[in-house]
Amino acid sequence: MYKSRRISTVALGLSFALLAGSSSAWAADAAVKGGTLIYLEQQAHTNLYPPAGGFYPNGGILNQITDKLTYQNPQTLQIEPWIAESWTTNADKTQYTFKLHPGVTFSDGTPLDANAVAKNFDTYGLGNKEHHLPVSEVINNYDHSEVIDPLTVKFYFKKPSPGFLQGTATIGSGLVSLSTLARDFNALGDARHIIGSGPFVVSSETLGREVDLTARKDYNWGPKDLKQQGRANLDGIKIIVTGEDSVRIGALLAGQADFIRQVQAYDEKQAEAKKFPIYAPSTRGVNDGISFRPDNPLVASLKVRQALLHGVDSKQIVATLFSPNYPVATSVIAASAAGYVNLGDKLKYDPELSKKLLDEAGWKPGPNGIRQKDGQPLALTIYESLPQPQNKEVLQLVAQQWNQLGVKLTILAGDAGSRVADSLDPQKTPVNVVEVGRADPDVIKSEFYPTNRDALLQLGGLSSKVKSFKDDKLNALLVDISAEIDPQKRLALAGDAQRYLLDQAYEIPIFEEPQVFAGAPYLHDVSFEAVGRPSFYSAWLAKH
Amino acid sequence: MSQYLSGRVGQALLVLWAAFTLSFVLLQALPGDAVLIKFQDPSMGLSPVQIAEMRAAYGADLPLWQQYLHTLGSFLHGDFGFSIQAGVPVTELLAGNLPPTLRLAVLGFTLALVLALFIAFVSNLVPLRGLKSALLALPALFISVPTFWLGIALIQMFSFHLGWIPVINPGEWVGLILPVITLAVPISAPLAQILIRSIDQVQTQPFVSVARAKGASRSRVLLRHIARNATLPALTIAGLLLGELIAGALVTETVFGLNGIGQLTQQAVNNQDLSVLQAIVVISAAAYVAINLLVDLIYPLLDPRLKPSVGVRS
Repeated sequence: MYKSRRISTVALGLSFALLAGSSSAWAADAAVKGGTLIYLEQQAHTNLYPPAGGFYPNGGILNQITDKLTYQNPQTLQIEPWIAESWTTNADKTQYTFKLHPGVTFSDGTPLDANAVAKNFDTYGLGNKEHHLPVSEVINNYDHSEVIDPLTVKFYFKKPSPGFLQGTATIGSGLVSLSTLARDFNALGDARHIIGSGPFVVSSETLGREVDLTARKDYNWGPKDLKQQGRANLDGIKIIVTGEDSVRIGALLAGQADFIRQVQAYDEKQAEAKKFPIYAPSTRGVNDGISFRPDNPLVASLKVRQALLHGVDSKQIVATLFSPNYPVATSVIAASAAGYVNLGDKLKYDPELSKKLLDEAGWKPGPNGIRQKDGQPLALTIYESLPQPQNKEVLQLVAQQWNQLGVKLTILAGDAGSRVADSLDPQKTPVNVVEVGRADPDVIKSEFYPTNRDALLQLGGLSSKVKSFKDDKLNALLVDISAEIDPQKRLALAGDAQRYLLDQAYEIPIFEEPQVFAGAPYLHDVSFEAVGRPSFYSAWLAKH
Repeated sequence: MSQYLSGRVGQALLVLWAAFTLSFVLLQALPGDAVLIKFQDPSMGLSPVQIAEMRAAYGADLPLWQQYLHTLGSFLHGDFGFSIQAGVPVTELLAGNLPPTLRLAVLGFTLALVLALFIAFVSNLVPLRGLKSALLALPALFISVPTFWLGIALIQMFSFHLGWIPVINPGEWVGLILPVITLAVPISAPLAQILIRSIDQVQTQPFVSVARAKGASRSRVLLRHIARNATLPALTIAGLLLGELIAGALVTETVFGLNGIGQLTQQAVNNQDLSVLQAIVVISAAAYVAINLLVDLIYPLLDPRLKPSVGVRS
């Protein structure tokens, strides 16, 4: 089972494509117009400033109401035209020029022209202190924009920014009207304030409960390589927050909803038994796993980290808790991610080797079964990560597996406040849950670079509590990925970074995290952007 | 009487101020803050410098006493600030969440009262021993049913299985049927128990024997003579059940996906959304104070002995 899944990206992508397309194989010319889709969300959206679109519920809304400059083909990961009809860039990737599609308007009637695009990226690239708008994660080294003519805009960067083109296709780069950008960050939690040019428009909202979207009749600027053209098939979408897992799946199966997000692995069978398709697009980034904070003396030794890495049986975890939609990790990033290298050999479960390594590192079994060194037990603490699927159960299994090696792992739930504060302190949280989705090699830098997410907690990074740990070699590799202008060399560097991270046992990848949805059998042609946010532009509801 | 009232109102304001201050201090003592939690969130991907800038922009780095005075001042002007997590003014959040919770709570409490009265009275009147003991066992059963489980069970049964009541997108009132039942059942239990016990107690009083001796029927004695006296202790408990009602509302709102103060509180606690929590604490304190004041004012109506002796100063 697992071997076959490891074979290749292609097989994975293909099987997903088949799964997603199976219900619409004969539907090419039969799309029904009209109807309102009932979409059940697990959580309410938070602030909808587009760079905050990483939060799944936010992305689920933003992906319907905003367009992007470019479109990343979720199958090939190629960048295709959308609001930009064409683009050019200089050799060292410090300048990008985009030619825009004429006649595009935001839903408030204002034009989506070079001026609007320039203002969008000035805000996303530099932030706006006056309005409290933070900088976007996906835009590196931004300097300024220049409006060449009403339909041509040029961006300048301080240093090479090869990831920028892909960055213009991400959920965080959704284009919004000048009126939205003129609002304070505090006001952007109200979905009605997000004025985009997308195929749907927010028509009403009950805060924390429901967002209603209506199709834009005059929409005529979807990505030109898509089969779907013109306005969306659906008349509208009702996004209803339904927190309870069993209620979402129950409502779908009882015919009260058409599409739901966050299906727990143990509910998948129930849906499949009733012929309700499961959609599990990969988030194509850094896999769901555990990272070490080597600043903590307990995990400062490479041997200890290697021992713990080989002491995690990811296959058992996936087989126990998940379904075939959750592939076992074979590298730091997902098999469908750009630059992936299969490093499964470095991730073998080998408890005997682990015990040997721990012995060599001087950790001897203590009286209560927990290994000790100089009277100190090998006891680690980790915080549960709520957004990750069944994270508590995953960590409990890891704790059991480590327990067999004589290592204690305590799992804390904690409120967000203690979690955030403690997880910045390597002494308090020597291990940490990691995961981030983005379909570009920059994603590795995002997760591990000190001034990005800083998963390893390095000196000069997010935390002021780090005493000495810093890995210059790793950081140089990560910077190179974000600045290498030759695409092939960039992928090769991404491979080097994956190898280095595992050779240093800085991270234990466990599984490739999908976003799992389920839909009614009569719902067709839902698609997903490159990191798994649903798009309902081409979706339609058959008679039922 | 007016002196009594103004005293009570002054007391109430003091309680509100204490609640505000205490919650402010406690919330500040927690590690982290809303700005940190919001912008430290990896999905925002901000650098430490950017996070520090955001903290400064929100005034999260000001000395505590300044933040306290600022917040207190805004509260007095009716400005509850912004929810950093949700990105909307707190007043808007409250406007959207307070009415549904109130509706749920009032209906839930009313149904709980009806249930409790039904159990207490019928168990007292019913001549069949078996039925009587079954009814008397109900409160114990009701209190041991977890609200969460009851909600899910009702949904599975009446919505998904029988298809009688939709949970997704129901009509405004139809959608309240199951949540109200879910909320009422556990609340009715302590009320019913208190009622049963106090009916038993009142029944042993001499005036009951007198009424019976005069030939009044069992039900007449119960309704005319006992009920009035037996409801006093239940009323006291009713005031105290507010906390339980809020806790029950939280679970009910979560299970049924309703918006309301319960789920708002839960999210705000999770994210340490200070301005939201502060507003909720003050509003809850105000509700608590108001309900207890109300109970105190109703007492004399039910029991003439408790009427403040007008014109006579002791």
